[in-house]
Amino acid sequence: MNAHVRPPLKAPLSLTVNGRSVEAEVEPRTHLADFLREELDLTGTHLGCEHGVCGACTLLVDGEPARGCITFAATCGDAEIVTIEGLDDDELTAELRAAFNREHALQCGFCTPGMLIAARDLALRLPEPDERRIRIGLAGNLCRCTGYAGIVRAIRSVIAERRDRGIAATVSERPLGPVGAHRPGASPRSAPDRREAASASGIPASAATSVREFTPAETFEQRFSVAFPPERVFALFGHVKEVAVCLPGAFVEATPSPERVEGGIRVKVGPISAAFRGVANIERDEATRRGRILGAGADGRSAAQGEVRYEVRPGSEPETSDVVLTVGYTLKGPLAQFGRPGLVRDVAARLTAEFARNLETRLSGRAVEAEPSAPSGLNPFRLVAGLILGRLTGWLNRIRSR
Amino acid sequence: MKASRFALERPRDLEEAGALLAGAGGLAKVLAGGQSLGPMLNLRLVEPALVVDVSGVAELRRFDHEGGTLVIGACCTHADIEDGRVPDVGADMLARVASGIAYRAVRNRGTIGGSLSHADPAADWLSALSALGATVEIASRSGRHRLAIGDFVTGALETSLQADEVLAAVRIPMVPETARFGFVKHARKVGEFAHAIGAALIDPERGTGRCVIGAIDAPPLVFPDASVLFGGSIRPGFASEFDRSVADRALIDAGVTDPVARHVHIEILRRAVIQAEGEPLVETRAAA
Repeated sequence: MNAHVRPPLKAPLSLTVNGRSVEAEVEPRTHLADFLREELDLTGTHLGCEHGVCGACTLLVDGEPARGCITFAATCGDAEIVTIEGLDDDELTAELRAAFNREHALQCGFCTPGMLIAARDLALRLPEPDERRIRIGLAGNLCRCTGYAGIVRAIRSVIAERRDRGIAATVSERPLGPVGAHRPGASPRSAPDRREAASASGIPASAATSVREFTPAETFEQRFSVAFPPERVFALFGHVKEVAVCLPGAFVEATPSPERVEGGIRVKVGPISAAFRGVANIERDEATRRGRILGAGADGRSAAQGEVRYEVRPGSEPETSDVVLTVGYTLKGPLAQFGRPGLVRDVAARLTAEFARNLETRLSGRAVEAEPSAPSGLNPFRLVAGLILGRLTGWLNRIRSR
Repeated sequence: MKASRFALERPRDLEEAGALLAGAGGLAKVLAGGQSLGPMLNLRLVEPALVVDVSGVAELRRFDHEGGTLVIGACCTHADIEDGRVPDVGADMLARVASGIAYRAVRNRGTIGGSLSHADPAADWLSALSALGATVEIASRSGRHRLAIGDFVTGALETSLQADEVLAAVRIPMVPETARFGFVKHARKVGEFAHAIGAALIDPERGTGRCVIGAIDAPPLVFPDASVLFGGSIRPGFASEFDRSVADRALIDAGVTDPVARHVHIEILRRAVIQAEGEPLVETRAAA
């Protein structure tokens, strides 16, 4: 452990694992699968994606399948956990094991613990050995070896056999609410961890220092109108600091040359906040009133590259302008994994609207009010990068950088 | 892929939850089933100082009927609704939506209130409950208030919830027997986030209806009076009157510029409308 790492805040936890009472101390951030694997050496629960997609960590919580990787152990006080190790003597699991063996329903075995738990749930709940419903029911458990053919055959055979033996499908009775979540007792609580709200700028220093040409993975266009003539709007776009003032969350640290700007942007999308810091190159063409900002930024884990092309055209009314922004970006890191490009557009649209409003305020000679959503240096959540944000961010970056 | 450090509190009631949230100065996040927040914490997209786990709060884990309204506590799970432990507002309406959400292992913990508070535009409840005319009940230390879904969700992943507020319940009007419900979701893989959602609640006898186009990367597009989609009036046989051009214009106005995306959204709504006209299809149950 590094010296600057604070000691973990652990809280007592008591629960039942495979029929045995367990008393332990856990950090709130430890998920159930890690707790079982690392603290109890129950390594039969596998970890694949760790964000709820692959199903390798599926285990039984209060008798029902749940994801071990997105269930925090500390929220499972008094729960009954059963892992694959706890199903050795379970009659239904034994039937499934035999069927998996017979039908070649596994090869490498990585998905098998989670697969058996999902299969057991299907064998209990499905009234008939319906291949379609079995396949749909296995959608949350990824197997990359078998192509599922053997797995489906195995589960069908077990369901058919059991129904023939007169064992009907059941859905167990249980209280409402998330499985494993029991009413909190009087367990001691940890004090809230009031983490200092980030450093001065709130943005990590690890930043991109160079900008390269790239092909954007995503592009979109935004347009808005401003009640000022094109030459004035275009002129304002030439003042990076003025533009940054209009762009919520943006800041400029240095402008080493008219073609280069250093700064960052802080973006918030729902619970996600990202703070990117980087550099951008600026190009402008007075004759066509077009410009381009090409930037790169990072927030420590995720990186964004982006460009904003802008064009200021005469508006439909005299003395007004239409601004066309074409935004392209590529995001790398955890945010990219989150991967929902479309969400960016909604956020971009709202930011563009705010930017346009601020631009008009600025052009009319008034000061832009600091937007309440991003007080300097203090974001409601300390941010990491967002994909979403990332993109946004990237964009903003560029914009701001202008 | 491990969450960064946070403190955890497990309040026993909403009052305690509100006080914890208010005391955290905006650095807290409410956790219910954790099936959306969990991945975001693990990916470190969200790094709250404090997580307030409300999954054990008894008040959030019950349902009630108030007159013609079903009130579902925020921490009732998708599986509770799918299995019928929480009653439905009509024949296989909520249950059908619930059964198509993610995977069973996720539905056993994911909650209706958590899903709405997360406000992902591609999530099922946001579109389905918009079509069903639901409202949400929000609790804070200063009291309770109600909001229509359209006022509650203000953008992608954005809601009107203030720092000390918790979504306490979802209130859904019971659907009259004469009304039909259609819900169709388009995704490349079962359990994935939808690329398009169509929802329709139509009462051909009364000539009323509400339609929703969801998963447009922004809050859903709602037609509060769906008659505009059927040539101005809703009558028996309405599905054959479905007017694509009206939906297309609305999508353009909503900023959906890609014609292919618009085509998919319109087609999925059309299928929801057809489903609403016919008997609910057992095969549309996605779940196992």
